[in-house]
Amino acid sequence: MIALAPSDPSYPSALRDLERPPDPLWIDGLIDVLARPAVAIVGTRRMTGYGERVARELAMACAAAGIVVVSGFAQGIDTAAHRGALDGGGQTVAVLGESITTFRTTVRGRRRPLVPRIVASGALISEFAAPLTPRYWTFAQRNATIAALARAVVVVEAGEGSGALITAEDTRRLGRTLFAVPGPLGSAASIGTNALIANGFARALLAPDQMLRVVGATDAACAPESAPTDPVLAALRDGPLGVDEIAQRCRMGGAELRSKIALLLVRGQLAPLADGRFRRT
Amino acid sequence: MAVDAPVRTSVARVASCALWGLEAAPVTVEVDVANGLPHFNVVGLPDTAISEARERVRAAIRNSGFEFPLRRVVANLAPAERKKEGSGFDLAIALGVLRATDQLTVDVTPLCLGELALDGGVRGVRGVMPRVRGALARGVDEVLCAQENAAEAAAAGARAVGVRTLREAVAHLAGEAVRTPAAIPPPAPPPRTAVDLADISGHETPKRALEIAAAGGHSLLLAGPPGTGKTLLARALPGIMPPLDADEAVVASAIHSVAGLVDPARPLLEARPFRAPHHTASHLALVGGGSPPRPGEVSLAHAGALFLDELPEFARHVLDTLREPLEEGSITLSRAAAAATYPARVTLVAAMNPCPCGHAGDPAAPCTCLPDAIERYHARLSGPLMDRIDLRVHVPRLAYEDLRDEGRETSRAVRERVLAARERMRARLGGTRRRTNAELTVAEVRTHCRIDDAGDALAREAMRSRRLSARGVHRALRVARTIADLAASDRIRGEDLALALLLRGAA
Repeated sequence: MIALAPSDPSYPSALRDLERPPDPLWIDGLIDVLARPAVAIVGTRRMTGYGERVARELAMACAAAGIVVVSGFAQGIDTAAHRGALDGGGQTVAVLGESITTFRTTVRGRRRPLVPRIVASGALISEFAAPLTPRYWTFAQRNATIAALARAVVVVEAGEGSGALITAEDTRRLGRTLFAVPGPLGSAASIGTNALIANGFARALLAPDQMLRVVGATDAACAPESAPTDPVLAALRDGPLGVDEIAQRCRMGGAELRSKIALLLVRGQLAPLADGRFRRT
Repeated sequence: MAVDAPVRTSVARVASCALWGLEAAPVTVEVDVANGLPHFNVVGLPDTAISEARERVRAAIRNSGFEFPLRRVVANLAPAERKKEGSGFDLAIALGVLRATDQLTVDVTPLCLGELALDGGVRGVRGVMPRVRGALARGVDEVLCAQENAAEAAAAGARAVGVRTLREAVAHLAGEAVRTPAAIPPPAPPPRTAVDLADISGHETPKRALEIAAAGGHSLLLAGPPGTGKTLLARALPGIMPPLDADEAVVASAIHSVAGLVDPARPLLEARPFRAPHHTASHLALVGGGSPPRPGEVSLAHAGALFLDELPEFARHVLDTLREPLEEGSITLSRAAAAATYPARVTLVAAMNPCPCGHAGDPAAPCTCLPDAIERYHARLSGPLMDRIDLRVHVPRLAYEDLRDEGRETSRAVRERVLAARERMRARLGGTRRRTNAELTVAEVRTHCRIDDAGDALAREAMRSRRLSARGVHRALRVARTIADLAASDRIRGEDLALALLLRGAA
């Protein structure tokens, strides 16, 4: 882990746009990744299956185009974005709202196995040093760093009062391009993003190439993960379902569907959840 | 005095019975009345309840119009080296005193069980059924007990005479007013099935899983948002389980007798027990305990179903204590004073929400849980207990248009299939004490779980992709065997194994 002062030549120049650039900036991982073109993909921690899929697909599109994915490594959308970038073979930068040491020692659950993967191909960065206790304002403050690092910011899902809306505000102030992903009406997790679009604060993101064009990615071969042709896998695009729900979506049932699911299970294309539902792997 | 004149002893003997767990041991109550300062003592490792018998016996004898000897009275509970508990020896001690003082002129031959009231009344005690069965095995076939226990003793197969007072007991023994033995009571009627499967709309897979659990004795987890019918489904289980067979009925009734839970008029259980302890239950409540050890919920559910609603809300160490009984089919409770073994072969049914708020995956209400919180919630269940759950099924919220009326099967129709499947299992397991596919040994899985080509291909694929351990394959095969039995098929078809893998989550 190293600390960079703003005067350092390898300090990411994008951060100099900030009113008060992080001093020092703590980095755990590859430094040069911070100089590459990047898109931030952020959103609520209380994501839906739809948000998880979109965040993942956008991150994979970035990875395919060689664009770095920046996010805040919170639960939910942020984690889905980091994971999508890694699974797509791309690079990703996690901007933490606490010190790197604190985060590394306290992180649990699904995020924990991502830490070494991020450090190996990208970086964990933070503007906070070890003894500091993470607070609401530390996370709010790092949101500005996320916005500054990226040339475009995509808010995938944000409910009312979501921290991602602070990132959106910072993005506008810094003059970066702001996208919001339109969501279903009535979905609590899309109230904030739909409002950003309705108020004209953000451009509606309708396809990944919109965001890639902003960062100047020319690679046309960056088509997002194509929709699966298997009806069972297609039914599970927007989150885990139980057997009867899959049967309903696929308009299939009986022994045929069960044999299909069992085969996908033993092949590892589906994974069981503890509550009897299945999710795509 | 002539040398060969019979020595007049004042020792009276009355048969009674002690209980450790379900194990009954004969106890002879010996009462000696000798000259000396007036004194009444009970020896032979009695517990507090028995020591206090002195006061009850003295008052009951006096208040029944007899005389309590103003001499030195000692009652010994033989064999003396084992600890005895409970108030069931009162009647035997009192009759012993009356016999030793010649107020009762004939020897007491029946097994005597009962607690005395101060006014001379005879009260019922717990655990009459296993004690009577123990006595029958040793050749004592007549029982004298409280009126309220008479049906229970008769149900166990003894000639049981019930008495309401000590006076009635003496009059009966002396031949002054002989009472007729109690009639063998009819078995307790099956509880009117609270929930019929026909009352539940949709939920095809959960219902199928319920049928498989009822037939094969496999454990089942129902997960889904609140209000989708998980509890209703679980409560429909007793209605599709086969009736108790004779052996099971006797053992299950005996456990209920020890716990003091039998209906005095209908002591023999006919329907399978269905126990649903609350999630605040302690491990002692669940597996049994105390000193002397009493049966817990898992034993009270023996031969029936144990329903754990809100599974993740149970304390983790409480759930962990269930591992041994689920694996062994019995639980041994060892205490300093005594150890007791209770049978505990149950079909486990559990229910849980998919997340702490209950709405993950629920289209009707947004889930307010953070992803890590959901993961922690699931992690509470991970490990050895979940490994023993063979069927995991999601119970989704149904849309209004899915709540159709046609084509719903009644519990009776499902039960017919379950009975037929059990018959096939019985034929297969004939000669062993095991009854269901869930209890198949590994060797039996190899012999009895033959799969067709499609199933073979699936199993091979599972092993090749390493999604399934050998143990996992065996567990899935047991479930698949039950599914094939329900379809009256000798071979396990590919689709049977597919359903088994799917319900197990293939882990």
